[in-house]
Amino acid sequence: MNLKVLKDVLVITALKSLPDLKRQPLIIFVIGLISSLPLYFLVIFGGQITFGLIGAMVSTVSFIGMNAAIQEMSWDRYVKIREMIVAMPVHPISYALGIALAPLILSIPSLIFFGAIALWLGALTPYSLLWTVIALILCWATVSSAGFLISTYLQKASTYTLNNLSNILGIALGFIPPVYYPEEILGNLSWISAIFPTSNAASLIRVYSGSLSLPFEMIIARWLILIMSTIVFAIITVAKARWREI
Amino acid sequence: MDVVKSINLSKVYHSKEDVEALKNVNLSIRKGELFTLLGPNGAGKTTFLRIVSTQLLPTKGEAYVLDYDVVTQPEEVRRHIAVVPQDIATYGNFTPWEYCYYFSLLRGIPKNKVPEKAEKALRAVELWDLRNRTCATLSGGERRRAIIASVLASDAEVLMLDEPTSGLDAVARRNVWAVLRDIVEEGKTIVLTTHIMEEAEMVSDRLAIIHKGVVVAEGTPEQIKSLAKERFRVVIEGNLKDLGFTEKSNHVVRFGSKYIIYVKNEDEAIELVRKAIKKGLRAETAPVTLEDVFVEFVGGEIN
Repeated sequence: MNLKVLKDVLVITALKSLPDLKRQPLIIFVIGLISSLPLYFLVIFGGQITFGLIGAMVSTVSFIGMNAAIQEMSWDRYVKIREMIVAMPVHPISYALGIALAPLILSIPSLIFFGAIALWLGALTPYSLLWTVIALILCWATVSSAGFLISTYLQKASTYTLNNLSNILGIALGFIPPVYYPEEILGNLSWISAIFPTSNAASLIRVYSGSLSLPFEMIIARWLILIMSTIVFAIITVAKARWREI
Repeated sequence: MDVVKSINLSKVYHSKEDVEALKNVNLSIRKGELFTLLGPNGAGKTTFLRIVSTQLLPTKGEAYVLDYDVVTQPEEVRRHIAVVPQDIATYGNFTPWEYCYYFSLLRGIPKNKVPEKAEKALRAVELWDLRNRTCATLSGGERRRAIIASVLASDAEVLMLDEPTSGLDAVARRNVWAVLRDIVEEGKTIVLTTHIMEEAEMVSDRLAIIHKGVVVAEGTPEQIKSLAKERFRVVIEGNLKDLGFTEKSNHVVRFGSKYIIYVKNEDEAIELVRKAIKKGLRAETAPVTLEDVFVEFVGGEIN
């Protein structure tokens, strides 16, 4: 990867985030508010706030990962900006990484807010915070690469269809698997938690914050599932995606 | 020197029914000229432009930009071109300045040179005073000029513009034409597609009429017009029967109570006008327009 590729990642990230941030700064609150809704209910109904905070962080990165990979890609195709960029000396990897990173930048204030509260309440320690950041990055990477895979396979779908699909998947990944609630609730089916990148990341964060106990081999297996699914989705996307149409 | 060259370029879109969008297109576009691809919708103009701008692969044939093969050397081609796609929309939150700034960086212009290039481009399209307004607050013409400025700031040698004035009003269109001619005067090459006859006639150094994927005529606007079988048109308002013509005559076209009669030369046209005026009809004559020739080549299939 040469320097131009990395520079272009930064330019596309800036292009996709700074004008929005400058002219509609409330966007950073919108991202956090959606994810923090279950947190309010957990607080009101006496649930464990730790689960709510971890869930809020995980669903934030998951939602923006899915949203960027599907909605931004389809929007760029719709407004024909993608055609302009294809005809520029820009590597497709720079474009994909740039549009995936931009909303992550916009979500950083929310993530810092949730993380700070978790530290303040003792739900996370500085040590577990490190693992939390790694789990969140991997969750974002897995969901983003899954999103890119979906948008690659659904190139002919309309922008509206893709927008709806990304919202459904974003919400489903954040709220249906055990992201905001303990996987133990699922009983014998708690293994389902490992399948979804969101619940897998949430469980790993809980392990490091001390609210979930898993055997060491299981912890390693869960990290491997997160890493491997990111790699597999990315490989299929790269193999299937065509920068230039045929 | 040929800046863009295609040899037997063909494209078939495979779907339920295969569509042959380009059929053995041979074109040579020279350095420093504004070359227009003129054709009705679906003629293959955009397909040609998308192939030479490395967005689409051809089915058969070859295409080169500055001697780089568009199929095997797309990265080299992309270093030298800038493209405005058809019906491009703008990000509402972007300003014209941001368009120029970010797109110049992506094209590899050093960061310290970007402000100078952006300013020059924005002044060229007369958007300097509006550079910090968001596109959402600009008119359609201003938004289009913002996009053109972004490709202009990129300093690319070859600009490829797909119907850049489509949807613009007459004033905005003329502004864009003026900008395009200025760009060509600076030595850059422009490949333009349009279905607007006046545009093709006003701005092109040379043009090609493309119809159903085939180039049916190529040359300067004057050369193309000289290919017409009948070189003059007489517009008459009133009853043609008084002049011995019928609506069914091949060289007569009717628009309500107005008729266009095509004749071979100026003498014949003047004679016809005299006759019409004697009969109390309103009549005027002029050389055929590019539109007349275009219709002659493509028949009545203009969209």
